[in-house]
Amino acid sequence: MNELLIIRNLTVKFYTYDGVVQALDNLDLDIKQEETFGLVGETGCGKTLTALSILRLISPPGRIESGSICFNIDDGDEPIDLLAIGEEEIRAIRGSKISMIFQEPSSALNPVYTIGDQVSEVILLHRRQELVNKAIETITALLAGRNSLVNILANPMRLAERSLYQKIAQNPHSLWPRIVGRIPIMRRLLQRLKDEAKKMAISMLKEVEIPDSERVAQQYPHQLSGGMEQRAVIAMALACSPSFLIADEPTTSLDVTIQDQILELLRRLKSERESSVLYITHDLGVAAQICDRIGVMYAGSLCEIARVDDLYANPLHPYTKALLAAVPKPGEEPHAIGGTVPDPLNLPSGCRFHPRCSRAIGMCREHVPPMHELASGHFIACHNYQGETGGSSC
Amino acid sequence: MTSLRFMLYQLRRNPLSIIGIVIILTFIIIAIFAPIIAPPPEGHIDPYMIPRDGYSPIPKPPNEEHLFGTTEGQYDIFYGVIWGTRSAFRVGLIVIGVVLVVGIVLGSLAGYFGGIIDEIIMRITDIFLAFPILILAMAITVALGPSPDNVIIALIIASWPSYARLIRGDILAVREEDYVEAARGMGGSHLRIITRHILPNSIYPTLVMASLDIGAVVLYAAALSFLGLGAQPGYVDWGQMISFSRNWIVGPPGNPLAYWYTVTIPGLFILLFVLGWNLLGDAFRDILDPRLSRK
Amino acid sequence: MELRAYIVRRLLLIIPVLFGVTLLIFGLLQLFSPVERAALYVTDPKQFANIAEVIEKYGLDQPVWVQYGHWITEIFQGNLGWSKVVSQPVTSAMLNFLPATLELAIFATPLIIFGGIFLGSKAAAHKDKAIDHATRLGAIVGWSLPTFWLGLMLLMVFYGLFSGLFPPERLSTEMNIVVHSEAFTQYTKLHIIDAILNGNGRVLLDSLRHLVLPVITLTVVNLAFIMRLMRSSMLEALGKGYILTARAKGLDENTVVSKHARRNALIPVLTVSGYIFAGLVNGVVITETIFNYKGLGWWAWQSAVNLDISGVLGFALFNGVLFVFTNLVVDLLYARIDPRVRLGGKVT
Repeated sequence: MNELLIIRNLTVKFYTYDGVVQALDNLDLDIKQEETFGLVGETGCGKTLTALSILRLISPPGRIESGSICFNIDDGDEPIDLLAIGEEEIRAIRGSKISMIFQEPSSALNPVYTIGDQVSEVILLHRRQELVNKAIETITALLAGRNSLVNILANPMRLAERSLYQKIAQNPHSLWPRIVGRIPIMRRLLQRLKDEAKKMAISMLKEVEIPDSERVAQQYPHQLSGGMEQRAVIAMALACSPSFLIADEPTTSLDVTIQDQILELLRRLKSERESSVLYITHDLGVAAQICDRIGVMYAGSLCEIARVDDLYANPLHPYTKALLAAVPKPGEEPHAIGGTVPDPLNLPSGCRFHPRCSRAIGMCREHVPPMHELASGHFIACHNYQGETGGSSC
Repeated sequence: MTSLRFMLYQLRRNPLSIIGIVIILTFIIIAIFAPIIAPPPEGHIDPYMIPRDGYSPIPKPPNEEHLFGTTEGQYDIFYGVIWGTRSAFRVGLIVIGVVLVVGIVLGSLAGYFGGIIDEIIMRITDIFLAFPILILAMAITVALGPSPDNVIIALIIASWPSYARLIRGDILAVREEDYVEAARGMGGSHLRIITRHILPNSIYPTLVMASLDIGAVVLYAAALSFLGLGAQPGYVDWGQMISFSRNWIVGPPGNPLAYWYTVTIPGLFILLFVLGWNLLGDAFRDILDPRLSRK
Repeated sequence: MELRAYIVRRLLLIIPVLFGVTLLIFGLLQLFSPVERAALYVTDPKQFANIAEVIEKYGLDQPVWVQYGHWITEIFQGNLGWSKVVSQPVTSAMLNFLPATLELAIFATPLIIFGGIFLGSKAAAHKDKAIDHATRLGAIVGWSLPTFWLGLMLLMVFYGLFSGLFPPERLSTEMNIVVHSEAFTQYTKLHIIDAILNGNGRVLLDSLRHLVLPVITLTVVNLAFIMRLMRSSMLEALGKGYILTARAKGLDENTVVSKHARRNALIPVLTVSGYIFAGLVNGVVITETIFNYKGLGWWAWQSAVNLDISGVLGFALFNGVLFVFTNLVVDLLYARIDPRVRLGGKVT
């Protein structure tokens, strides 16, 4: 399988008043076509930052210092480096090729706009061509209608409308919609686009299994339950059938029963659309349920990557082991991980985990362990396994 | 105390707040040392009345004898602005002090007990808040008779409700907190719970912000005296000194700015005084606003 | 449905407040002697000759609740007493002075609101950049400016230094004669509109010239206030999750700010627009006093310095009532802009 996304040497720093925080440290990560990759780790380890870096949405005082994120926009095309392209180009990718679902659905939705408005906004933005073609079709159908009085009166208006849409169809970047959108009376001419987008939004809401979606489209976020809000957010993210979806703890704030429904929904939509998913979570149970491969993150870097069954059956990195042991199981005492999460301003030297690691050896203090492939598809960054098997990380 | 350190750091980092502190300190020094900076002439009975040098209606420009010149009626501008600092502090400190005490008492009663007490106190504040402060203060001053003390009373009456509301809001926010519930569960008296558990945890930011409102209070007081509702003529008061200049805004033909000093100098004193507090207030607002800080 | 309940509840709420407002004014009135209070009931200057009769008629020596009954009855009949400073009943004085003040407010209010919102959003969108620091400094200085001093300084420069460029008062003597001549019909008493309706360009130009400085004076202080508020509420809105969502959708920064952030940021600004009204009224009194601009504020000042209680209390009552209704309108607008208020829900 081909790689959809290749992250190399991604470094993100935060310039706070206390000092510089190295939030991501030379992160390498590959995501394959049509796979669900889970990113797990404790709060603050940099999972969300990795996601935001892909969309280039890190805001000050944070800054992407170096690295590259190569994204395979279409099969066959040269992959593009998301960190190197212009602002306009990354905007065209956000929401259409790569989109994101956020942790807290109630804050991810704008309280003053209806659900329908918010879903159709992204459709209006990225699927304009489709909308325009649909609008032209509708108008042509109307023009061909019977010669009733209403039609005779309305037809000149419709002709004007159609020529406007044809202009847009010929040249998607034409200034016409922008000019017309500024003039109050003329703005009505673009209404048809909005209506078409609204229709698509409603069918999208249906697709995420929101009951009574016509009505919900006219409701405001505060009128929905958390589960419904999250469905609306998912509808928004998938409205343009992105090839890559980032889900940042999408079920954390939901009830367990709803959690399962949302996971099931995500799984179905993902396979229907043949997209890849980066699934961020701190819940190893959820990760096991939905992911194909999992990367374990600690303090800004990855320490282990493996297929999901491999990881759970045979965890290698001491941190992964500790993490798995910390999951409570019936009839067993859960083992808390000793020590505390390191102060981001004052990260330990060498391996970030060595102060808490039971198997730390001398060189852990001095050298950052490189990521290497221990068994096929099982990568680990730990000095304990250094030299056991060869193979490069990429 | 990282928050205190953070606060001091922010204050230090923000050059505007440093300017604010310097301005306020300067005014404090001026107020304390007024008798040395501008000693009253010998035989002058009341130092809070500006000494006059004759009765000529025409202002005199700055000269050796009168550093900032004189107003109409020959009141010495330098003496007036220096001693006026004292009356500005007097108005500001008294009004804010009383208003805060009233605000804390009524605000905690309303916020802590809620129910009918809250309802009554809040409806009363509604009534007072229905008037623009200056208008209500104006009406009260007229009713009580214009004088510096009545300006202070009027400003207290007109401005207490907003502080009571602010403090009530703060208290409402912490009333349901676990530590308050715990104190209640342990059978603490209401007074003890309010003074020991609620007030210390809720109102410091409000108190800090409110005390920086001294600038605004002084501005209102100056406006009232400018309108002629404050002190008797000759009292050391910045607002009144500006009203002395009203007839001397435009000089004789050919020299339109001849009397600039009569309006500019007292006005600059008011502006700087208020600016000092507002600069500090602005810096604090940013620091205390948890939504804007940190990260 | 919820909206209607909200409106009804809101309307009912103003009744006790209005009652309280009249009580407060009436309470202030009690600080005066019956002889002084009589001025509030007089409708004709001839009555001053026989004050005892007025006192008798309105029961000014009787218990307060009887007096309140008489007083409130008179008010509902539109009788607020006699304004000595302008020698006419308070009600007609208010009606006569209102157009001048309205003219001032019509120009200043949009400047304050739209200017403040625009500059505040700009500052927030460019946080910690030069424009943010400049507007911030400008706002703090503007907010600290004594209105009366600013007005006088403006007069010194634009009336004195630039020999009469922007003069005080409402009209020049010459144009005042024109306005009050028979050839000039005063439709609205708003000089600008009347001048346009009469097709008189000179009056129009003259009244505009006289409006410049008062409008600036009135605007600066209040604009600074809105600007600061808008900046901080905009910053808050920009930090919200839905902004990240909007950016992740691929919207350009302009749309993110003007569509997603601004509407949310306006909500807190709207809730304090009552203060803006209060600021305007405060400012009007001072501004009109400085520029000898004969409107409501000037009249209130004249009444105050002449200790004309019927004028001062009449003005205060008028403002109190107006303010209550302004807040009503604000709350209804609030419901319009924030669906959470309109439809009821998690957040109240």
